[in-house]
Amino acid sequence: MSSGVKPGKYFVQGDEAIAEGAIAAGCRFFAGYPITPSSETSETMARRLPEVGGICLQMEDELASIHSVGAASVGGLKAMTISSGPGISLKLEGLGWGIKNEIPYVVVDVQRAGPSNGVATRVGQGDLYTIRYGSAGGNASLIALSPKSTQEAFDLTIECFNFSEIFRCPVFLLTDETVGHTRELLVIPEESELKVVKRIKPTVPPEKFLMYPLDTPGVINYPFPNIGEGYGICVSPYTHNSRGYASTAQDIQEKMAKRLVFKVTENLDKLVRVERQKMEDAEFAVVAYGGNARPAIAAVDMAREKGMKVGFFRPIIIWPFPDREVLKVAEKVGKILVCELNIDGQLSREVARAAKGKAEIFHLGSGGVEPHLPAQIFNEIRRLYP
Amino acid sequence: MSTVGETLNLLHPLVAKYLRRERMPHMACPGCGIGQVVHATLIAVDELGLTPKDTVWVQGVGCNSRITYSTWVGDNVDAHHGRMFAVATGLKMARPDMNFICFTGDGDCGAIGGNHFIHACRRNLDVTAILFNNGIYGMTGGQVSPTSPLGAVTTTTPYGNIEDPFDMCKMAVAAGASYVARWRSTDFKQLSNSIKKGIQTKGLAFIEVLVQCPTNFGRYVLKSSSPQEVIKYIKAHTISIKDAEKLPPEELKGKNLIGEFVHHTDRQGIVERYQQFLKEHQKE
Repeated sequence: MSSGVKPGKYFVQGDEAIAEGAIAAGCRFFAGYPITPSSETSETMARRLPEVGGICLQMEDELASIHSVGAASVGGLKAMTISSGPGISLKLEGLGWGIKNEIPYVVVDVQRAGPSNGVATRVGQGDLYTIRYGSAGGNASLIALSPKSTQEAFDLTIECFNFSEIFRCPVFLLTDETVGHTRELLVIPEESELKVVKRIKPTVPPEKFLMYPLDTPGVINYPFPNIGEGYGICVSPYTHNSRGYASTAQDIQEKMAKRLVFKVTENLDKLVRVERQKMEDAEFAVVAYGGNARPAIAAVDMAREKGMKVGFFRPIIIWPFPDREVLKVAEKVGKILVCELNIDGQLSREVARAAKGKAEIFHLGSGGVEPHLPAQIFNEIRRLYP
Repeated sequence: MSTVGETLNLLHPLVAKYLRRERMPHMACPGCGIGQVVHATLIAVDELGLTPKDTVWVQGVGCNSRITYSTWVGDNVDAHHGRMFAVATGLKMARPDMNFICFTGDGDCGAIGGNHFIHACRRNLDVTAILFNNGIYGMTGGQVSPTSPLGAVTTTTPYGNIEDPFDMCKMAVAAGASYVARWRSTDFKQLSNSIKKGIQTKGLAFIEVLVQCPTNFGRYVLKSSSPQEVIKYIKAHTISIKDAEKLPPEELKGKNLIGEFVHHTDRQGIVERYQQFLKEHQKE
């Protein structure tokens, strides 16, 4: 199968960069349902995947999209689906099947202003908790990365695919309409410069292989045999033992739940991705993620021009939340201003939790439609500083 | 751990050959029709020479799924409730070289998964789908299903069902499946031949089987937990397609037609379509 990588410089939208990143990561199955502002990814996949021998289907709904994606991965193809707002609500039904059966695939959420249909064509950041806690039943960890630019949309999509294989789980790319629709420079490097993790295969014979490593919950890089490889795999929605057989025993439920949580929580060091700017001497920090990081960085620069010691911090990995890195920021500064495109305070709530009272946390929210303006954030810094 | 059947050396040769011993005995209620359908399926599998390496069993959620799940000696993929066809789509597109025998029920396929069912037929997905229609939700304890008869008293229709039942074969024909047939669990030979034909057909084979559920359908709808009574009821409410042709429509009211509705041998399935499409558009 061809690598599909098209090295070069491109002037494209974030949504298109996601598609190119997926293809470069080896994604050969895509299923989606049209929804703004994510459709450009689906359209790019529909054009590009056949060129590289991949499969692209527009399914009858969001549920079929995520379930066919999970199944295609069980079939041996790296797979991805995408949606936004109301579509993500539906996708969450299928997410549990992927989490529970430890199926590697990628889900992209191009966030728009909500709730419900909200403003379909405009930005919002209201899905932080939705993707983390939306799949019923708990007993799960989630990995989610969030890009701030077209370039990062490409890079982090590849990283999402890699994490999905390493951790054997669905991984989210949590982006937003600002990034999805921003047209800017994308540099696609040579294939040899890209780090792509291939599906890990068992080295032991089928009779010795356990599909679900319930007795070693923290193990990563664990093999995933696909159908047709002689391993007689069992995938199901029910709580399973190590072979995949349904069980109602409490000890099996306990082990399975621990496996699904611990494989992420015992490997946090491998997952930390954060951005810091001007934090060395900072006495005040601004925190933002995704597309809204861009006005936040501009506001920090404005504050610096006025001589204020303000730094910038961005979680690139949203889940698991980079608690330790946020705590370090909180221990350094007196105040943290969190800027995000929701009124209810989601990122700010996580920052406050991770800061453990070491700094005062302020929430600059917006219902969405427009990202914050740098001046808006700067005014808030000036009001709160030092 | 050995099962009673194994100890007494009573394991059916087809079970010994194709099903996982450690998953036997299965959890069907006494008198349930699901075992008959699994038996007919295994005969079809055996006569066609399918193997665990080239064949996958796929399920949704319901009695049929819970009983057949992870019993096949090869790969087993059990989907969320209603998502069997969506999962089968991803599996078949990823592994077009493999056979997929898919089990679903009247709730799984006709209610919560209805949309996926319609579109799997429209795409003419190259899998063999066997619908176990027992006219009731069995696993959850006897609630009304989309194929429960008009007037049926169930745990969620204590005053009788006011809705008409869903003819899923008609839907499959209308939506474009290559092969559509309906049998009773007692039409054993026809059923196993039909499953064989379905597996060999390009595109979607949709085979509905009216199965007796003494535990819930019998108990609530017929006020009798006797399997014979439920089988009698099914026989009284079915008629072959040929016999039906001679009767006026009013005499067919409340009856399910039995037999083959369509068998298109020339219709392309999505797999063949996609492979042709790739030939035209693949560049690398």
